[in-house]
Amino acid sequence: MAVAIRQMTYAQAINDAIRMEMRRDPRVILMGEDVAGGATIAHLQDDEAWGGVLGVTKGLVQEFGRNRVLDTPITEAGFIGAAVGAASTGLRPIAELMFVDFFGVCWDQIFDQGAKLRYMFGGKASCPLVIRTMIGAGMGAAGQHSGCHYSVFTHMPGIKTVVPSTPADAKGLLEGAIRDDDLVVVFENKMLYNVSGDVPEGEYVIPPGKADIKREGIDITIVAISRMVHQALEAADTLQAQGISAEIVDPRSLSPLDEDTILDSVAKTHRLIVVDEDNPRCSVATDIAALVADKAFSELDAPIKLVTAPHTPVPFSPPLEQFYIPSPERIVATVQELTG
Amino acid sequence: MVTKQGGGVSAQTLDKSQLLRMYEQMKTIREFEERAGKEFASGKVPGFVHLYAGEEAVAVGVCSHLTDDDYITSHHRGHGHCIAKGVSLREMVAELLGREAGACRGKGGSMHIADVNKGMLGANGIVGGGFPLAAGAGLTAKFNDRGQVAVCFFGDGAGNQGTFHEGLNLAGIWKLPVIFVAENNGYAESTPVSYHMSCRDIADRAAGYNMPGVTVDGLDVFAVYEAAGEAIARSRRGEGPSLIECKTYRYYGHFEGDAILYRTKEEEESYRARDPIKAMRRVLVDRGIVHDAELEAIDKKVQDSIDLAWQFAEAAPYPAPEDALTDVYVKYP
Amino acid sequence: MLKEEHSMSQPLVGIIANPASGRDIRRLVAYGTVFDNNEKTAIVRRVLLGLEAVGVTRVAYMPEHDFGILPRALTMMSSRHHGPSLQAEPLQMPVLATSADSTRAAQMLAEMSAGCIITLGGDGTNRAVAKGSGNVPLVPISTGTNNVFPAFIEGTIAGMAAGLVASGCVGASAARRAPRLAVLVNGEEKESALVDVVLSSVPFVASRAIWDLSTVHEVVLSRVAPATIGLSALGGALLNGTAEGAEQSGMHILLGRGALQVLVALAPGLVEWVVVREYRRLAMDDVVHFQPSTGTIALDGEREIELSQTSVVEVRLCADGPFVVDVPAALEGAALAGHLHRGSTSFRGTAGDHKGSPSHATPPSPLRDGGFTCMDEEPHR
Repeated sequence: MAVAIRQMTYAQAINDAIRMEMRRDPRVILMGEDVAGGATIAHLQDDEAWGGVLGVTKGLVQEFGRNRVLDTPITEAGFIGAAVGAASTGLRPIAELMFVDFFGVCWDQIFDQGAKLRYMFGGKASCPLVIRTMIGAGMGAAGQHSGCHYSVFTHMPGIKTVVPSTPADAKGLLEGAIRDDDLVVVFENKMLYNVSGDVPEGEYVIPPGKADIKREGIDITIVAISRMVHQALEAADTLQAQGISAEIVDPRSLSPLDEDTILDSVAKTHRLIVVDEDNPRCSVATDIAALVADKAFSELDAPIKLVTAPHTPVPFSPPLEQFYIPSPERIVATVQELTG
Repeated sequence: MVTKQGGGVSAQTLDKSQLLRMYEQMKTIREFEERAGKEFASGKVPGFVHLYAGEEAVAVGVCSHLTDDDYITSHHRGHGHCIAKGVSLREMVAELLGREAGACRGKGGSMHIADVNKGMLGANGIVGGGFPLAAGAGLTAKFNDRGQVAVCFFGDGAGNQGTFHEGLNLAGIWKLPVIFVAENNGYAESTPVSYHMSCRDIADRAAGYNMPGVTVDGLDVFAVYEAAGEAIARSRRGEGPSLIECKTYRYYGHFEGDAILYRTKEEEESYRARDPIKAMRRVLVDRGIVHDAELEAIDKKVQDSIDLAWQFAEAAPYPAPEDALTDVYVKYP
Repeated sequence: MLKEEHSMSQPLVGIIANPASGRDIRRLVAYGTVFDNNEKTAIVRRVLLGLEAVGVTRVAYMPEHDFGILPRALTMMSSRHHGPSLQAEPLQMPVLATSADSTRAAQMLAEMSAGCIITLGGDGTNRAVAKGSGNVPLVPISTGTNNVFPAFIEGTIAGMAAGLVASGCVGASAARRAPRLAVLVNGEEKESALVDVVLSSVPFVASRAIWDLSTVHEVVLSRVAPATIGLSALGGALLNGTAEGAEQSGMHILLGRGALQVLVALAPGLVEWVVVREYRRLAMDDVVHFQPSTGTIALDGEREIELSQTSVVEVRLCADGPFVVDVPAALEGAALAGHLHRGSTSFRGTAGDHKGSPSHATPPSPLRDGGFTCMDEEPHR
C-alpha cells in the first residue's frame, strides 16, 4: 500500500510524530519548559502560545489539553526526575531538555536513576521515557547552548540515543523512541529545524538500532552524525567531480549502533572517515573507529580518520564558531588524504 | 575600599554627585539595551540577546554599594549588571559582535560577558547557575576577612531551581556574606509566576534558610538602594546572608524575537508609566536637586558614549579562527 | 459576580488581605520576620470557616493581580469542613498592586453595605482601608510589622466575631470608634493616619520604613499605648499619670536635643533610648503645625509624602476614625444573647446576666434557624 508523502520541515515532522503518538496512546504526555507556553494566562489565544522556545511543539496543547501537555518551571532535576518517576509507574512521558548543555542540572536523574533502575531492580522495572533535546552549533548561541554531547549519553548503559538528520528520520526515530520501552534520548539539531524534506504521513516508526545509507559509493565510507550528514553530502558532491565516490552512512541510532551496516560499507569501500560535531576525546567517532579497527581491520586500506570539533567549548564569535564546526572543505581534504 | 564596620546607607546620605551617577548609570543601561535591540533586529548581532530594559533600578540600586573588590554573579539578562559593575561599554559591544577586543575576546557573547578583575563573575546561560558560584565567592570573602560581599542576581524562574535551595542553605549554615537579589519580573520565559511558583513571593522562602527576606519595589531606585544598603552592611559586619526580592518588569521579551503575546499591552503600559528612570528624574527635578539641563547633558553624554562604543566595536577585528583553540586550559599538557 | 443587594437576611462580609504586608526592610534593619503569604492564606481559611459557622454566606474580597491569598484559601479548603453555602467573590475593580487597591476595595464594600470588613495587614494596610471603609466596622487581624492598630487575634475567632457583627447579632457596643490624624499639606487634607504622623529628614520615600531616629524630629500620636512597638510606644513611655483616659487622646512630641531620654521599642527587636525635647497631650480637634522643611512625612510608620521647601504641614487629631470591633466583647455579647447556644434552655449558668428563667423562649439565631432575625434584637448584657 503506497504511503502518502508530504513536504515537511524537520520541526514539523517532530511535531507530527508527537501528535501521532499522543493520539494513539493516552498515556503519552509531553512536559518541559514552555512546551505549551503562557500557562494560566487568560488572554492568550491558542496560536499565540510559544509551543516550545523555537515553536516545535506549537499546537499540541490545543489538541491534548494541559493535563497532557505540561509546562514546567525551570527545574530540570525536578521535572526530568519526575518524568523518570512517571515512566516507571505507567505513563509514557516525552520530556524536553531544552538544550543538551543543561544536562548537568539533571544528570543524576537520567543516568543514576532512569538508566539504571531496570538493571538494579533485577529486570522488574522499566523506564519508557523519551527525552528530546536540542544540539548543535551554528546559531551563535555560545558555550552553554551549542554542544552535542551525545557521546556522554551513549556511553551510559541503560540509555538509548538517536540522532535524526532529516525530517523523515526525525519523525520516524521519535515515534520509534516513544514506542520503545527503554529510556531513549532524541538529539534534535537546532540548525536542521527549518530543513524541508519528504515525510510519510500518518504513523511512521523507525525503531532504534537501524542505520541508513544516505548516499551510495564505492571509494570511501563516510560515517556522519546528525547535521554532519549534510556537510558530508556537500563534500561528496565536490568529491564526485574529482572522481571520488563517497558512501555516506548515517547511523541514525548511536545506542544501539547498527554495526553491520557500517562494517558492510567498509568491506565495500576499504576506507573510513567519521564526521562528528562533538568534541573528539571519548566520542562516538572514536567509538566507531575502534569498532572498525577491531572487526574490519583486514578490510582497511588506509588509517581511519576522524573529522571532529576541536577539544574546546563552542566559541561565540562567528569566525571561531565556523572554525569549530567540521566543514565540507575539511571533509574533502581528509578524504583526499586517504585516497590521494 | 570596603569596610567591615558601619551601619547601612540610607537614601538620605546620597549627595548630588551620587544621585547623578546613579541616574547616569540607569540611563546608560537603558540606552545600551535599546541600541542592542535595534542592532540585533538589523542582523548585526549573532546569537541571542536578553534585554534588561525596565529593570535598571535593581542593578544600580544594588551595585551603588559595591566596589571592584566585591563580587556579583549574573544571568542571561546580564548587560545591566555588567554596566552597573563597571564593565567597559566598548568591551561589551565588541563582545556582542564577537570581536577580539571584546570582554571575553569574542569567545563568550552576550550571555557570558564577564570581568573577573572587577568582581563580575559572569553572565550565565544556565538558569540557577549562579547560586553555588555566589556562595563560593562568599566563602572566599569570608576567608579573606576584609569585609567583601557577593551579590547573586537571579530571576523568578531561577528561584525554582534546586541550586536556589542549595546555595541559600550553604550561605545560611556558613553565614556567608552573600546577598541574594531576586529580580521578580513576573515571568519565566512565557510562564507567569502565578503558575510556576508555589509561594506568592520569593522573600517568603528566606526564613527557611535562616536569613531575613524583604520585598521592595524594584521600580524605585531609592527603595532598592536602601534595602540593598542594609543587607550589604549586614554582610560586611559578618552577620550573614539575606534575600531581597525586587518586584520589577522587563520591557522586552525573554529574548529578542519573542513576540511577547503572553503579556497584554495594557500591562506593559501600566509598568512603563512607572518607569524607574523617569521617576528618578522627576524626583530630582521636583525637589530642586538638579535642573533639567544637567540631566539633558547627562543624557547626551550617555548617548555619545554608546555611539563611541559601537563605532569602536564595529571597527574592531574578529579573532583569527585558530583562536578557537586557545584558553581552554592554563597549561596543556 | 455579587449583586449589590441590601438584603437584610444575607449580610455581606468583606475581606481585604494585603499580600505586601510584613515583608519590608524592617526584616533587615530590625528583627522582624517575614509574614509569609502562605500563612496569611491559612489565616484566611480559618476566617472563612469562622464566618461560615455563624451563618455568613456572602463574602467579597479584594482581588490581586496574581493567583492570590483568597483564591488559594478557597481552593484548599477540605470538603469535609467547608459546605457549599459560603459564596466568596472578588470585587470587580482594577488591580494596581498598590495600597490604593485596599482603599478602593474598602470603598466598594462600604457602598455595598457590607456589615463588617476583616483586614489582614499592619498599621499601613489598615490606614489604606480606613480611607475608604466609612462606617463599616473593621476586624483588623495583625499580619504586618507595626501592629498598634490591628490585633493579634486568631483567624477563626475573627471570622466568627465579624460574622456576628455583620448579621447584627451583636450591636453597637461591640465596636468603638478609633481616632485618626488628618494631615493637611498647604491647607488641603491630603492624607490620614491611624496611629502616628512623623516628620522625617530623609528626602525620599524609598523603602518607606523608619528605623533611624536621628532622622525624626517631630511626632504626632493619635493614641498613647505603652505595650506596642513603634513611635506610639514613645508616647506610652512618656505617660506621667496626669491625663485621664489615656487611650482617648494623643500626643505631640519633639525629638532632638534635651535632657530627657526615653526607652522605646521602635521595631521588632530594636529598643533604643530616644532624646525628647518637649511633649504635650492632644485633645480631639487639636492641630499641630510642623515646622516647614524638606524631608518626608511618614504615616503609621511608612514614609508617604515627599515635601518641598515651601510645604506647610498641619496635623489634626480627629474623632472620626474607623469603627473597630472589640472581638472579645462581640463574642461575649453573642454568648450572653444565646446566639452560640441551641437545644435546651433549662441549663442555668451561674455567672453574670443571662436570660435565666426556663420559660424564656430560645431567642432566634441564625445558627439554628437559617434565617437572620438578629437585626431586630438588642443584645442582652
